[in-house]
Amino acid sequence: MTLQRFGAWAAVLIGAVYFFVPLIGTVEFSMRMRRGEYSFDAFKSVFSDTQFHQTFSFSMMMALMTIVFGMALVVPTAYWVRLRLPQMRQVVEFITLMPLVIPAIVIVFGYLRLYNSSSFLPLTGSTMGTNILLVIAYITLSLPYMYRAVDTAMRAIDVRTLTEAAESLGAGWGTILFRCIFPNVISGVLSGAFITLAIVMGEFTMAALLNRPAFGPYLQLVGANKAYEPAALAVIAFAITWASMGLLNLATRFSKMSPAKA
Amino acid sequence: MSFLILDNIQKSFGPVQVVHNFNMAIEKGEFVSFLGPSGCGKTTILRMIAGFEKPSGGRLTINGKDQRPLKPNQRNIGMVFQAYALFPNMNVRDNVAFGLKVAGMSKADIDARVTEMLSLIRLEHLADRYPYQMSGGQQQRVALARALAVKPQLLLLDEPLSALDAKIRVSLREEIRLIQQKLGITTVFVTHDQEEALSISDRIVVMNAGRADQIGSPYEIYNSPATRFVASFVGTLNMIDAKVIDPASGRVSIGGQDVTLKQSLSGLKGGDTVPLALRPEAGSLSPTAPGDTALTGTVISAHFLGSVIRTRMDVGGTVISFDMFNSPGVKPPQTGETVTLRFAAADLLAIRD
Repeated sequence: MTLQRFGAWAAVLIGAVYFFVPLIGTVEFSMRMRRGEYSFDAFKSVFSDTQFHQTFSFSMMMALMTIVFGMALVVPTAYWVRLRLPQMRQVVEFITLMPLVIPAIVIVFGYLRLYNSSSFLPLTGSTMGTNILLVIAYITLSLPYMYRAVDTAMRAIDVRTLTEAAESLGAGWGTILFRCIFPNVISGVLSGAFITLAIVMGEFTMAALLNRPAFGPYLQLVGANKAYEPAALAVIAFAITWASMGLLNLATRFSKMSPAKA
Repeated sequence: MSFLILDNIQKSFGPVQVVHNFNMAIEKGEFVSFLGPSGCGKTTILRMIAGFEKPSGGRLTINGKDQRPLKPNQRNIGMVFQAYALFPNMNVRDNVAFGLKVAGMSKADIDARVTEMLSLIRLEHLADRYPYQMSGGQQQRVALARALAVKPQLLLLDEPLSALDAKIRVSLREEIRLIQQKLGITTVFVTHDQEEALSISDRIVVMNAGRADQIGSPYEIYNSPATRFVASFVGTLNMIDAKVIDPASGRVSIGGQDVTLKQSLSGLKGGDTVPLALRPEAGSLSPTAPGDTALTGTVISAHFLGSVIRTRMDVGGTVISFDMFNSPGVKPPQTGETVTLRFAAADLLAIRD
């Protein structure tokens, strides 16, 4: 074995140890709730907690809304930039990258200042309004990932020629977007959706500061008050993220089986 | 009245004018090719006809109807693209049926029309295939069927053969022409390949820098090029600068040897320089026929190209190429040999710059 090859394997090994040891430790600890033997008591305790169900389903709903409205914003934008405003591509990319450099706490304080109950648009004045604001905040947070995923999928097809072909066959904008473009960027849309799901399920700052009963703040609450359940929740959160990654992988594989170019 | 009329069409992108006062009338059922190098404006004109670009000026009518206020999806024009542009998420049948579904036709009518179109392009057996499962030639035939399925009033072909290999290109262009003649559909074809344009067109428009340098039948374009550009772009050509001796009789001097053209040189005077064009295949070294013109020179090189031998000769400082058929009985000219090139005076054309 050459030195270079040994170095590569050593790097992989160190990485794997760094990643798996805490994970194995967490799994092991989450199963030690019952004294003297391994059990799933911590998981049972978490799953039987009504707050878990409420916060989990709330975050799921928020994630779904974020994906639906986020994609409704991102897909037409990415399409239009590719089709008619290629000169604006850099600007749009810069805007979509901004949530990566602006901390979530800054964004949420900005929202609170702009949309508080005494502002011109008092979104935080009602539960529904705050939920809407939270979805908007999540869309902002997941914008870099959603836009990139969709834009990459659009790069793989000849958007302009497909649009013109559909137009010459009599199609209007709705038909073009939903029957000719959207089905061909579905892998990108799904990739963006799964990343968004993972982000929203674990997000803490926005939900906590907007005082909404989301899964992130619940994780923090359990972590601060219980011993074994936080470890079980961490494992569950990992499972959600991995399931999202697996689905993302499936979506990518699905796109490889379908044609890439017009 | 002509079917398609392009009246004084202009197009500018910012300060750059890419189409200058373009005029043309195309008759119903005609196959017209726009031929020219990249950037000459041929595709821009096609895109203006399709409605993808708005003319900066001028009028565009199809069957007497002004097309300028109409969007591309209101013009009923079929278009085939260089990149095929088949919808990747649809199989062949769905691609061909797309325009029919958009038009709101009944399922039975759609099925019948799709079957008819697939039979026209002889791809019935591939109806369930997706674009990525087919070759480029097959995809382009499907694209043609899709464009024709909606019974367009006009068919536009934007370099449809450019992405295909040479053999498929020849067979598909013949197929396109046969289908066009069978359906009698007015067709505008854009290409930069002179052989394609010459072989399938009723008329050719040779475009140069946003202008039509010449519009004519393939025979006229090839044999009587109107400008130096047309002469050099279509086929191989000798461009010879001759000195005018007697403009009225068409007598000129090439490398010190007198030649009389079949045309007078009005507007020129003795001593002026006039560009002449001579096709390499127009000359021969065989014995002269009555009325033939001859130029004597020294062979510079002779290249064996299979069926022909291309020879370059020096006529008093002017280099002229000519082709002769390869024949086992005829010895190729040797470098340094003095030969006499004979040709009909009518083949030596005075052209515009």
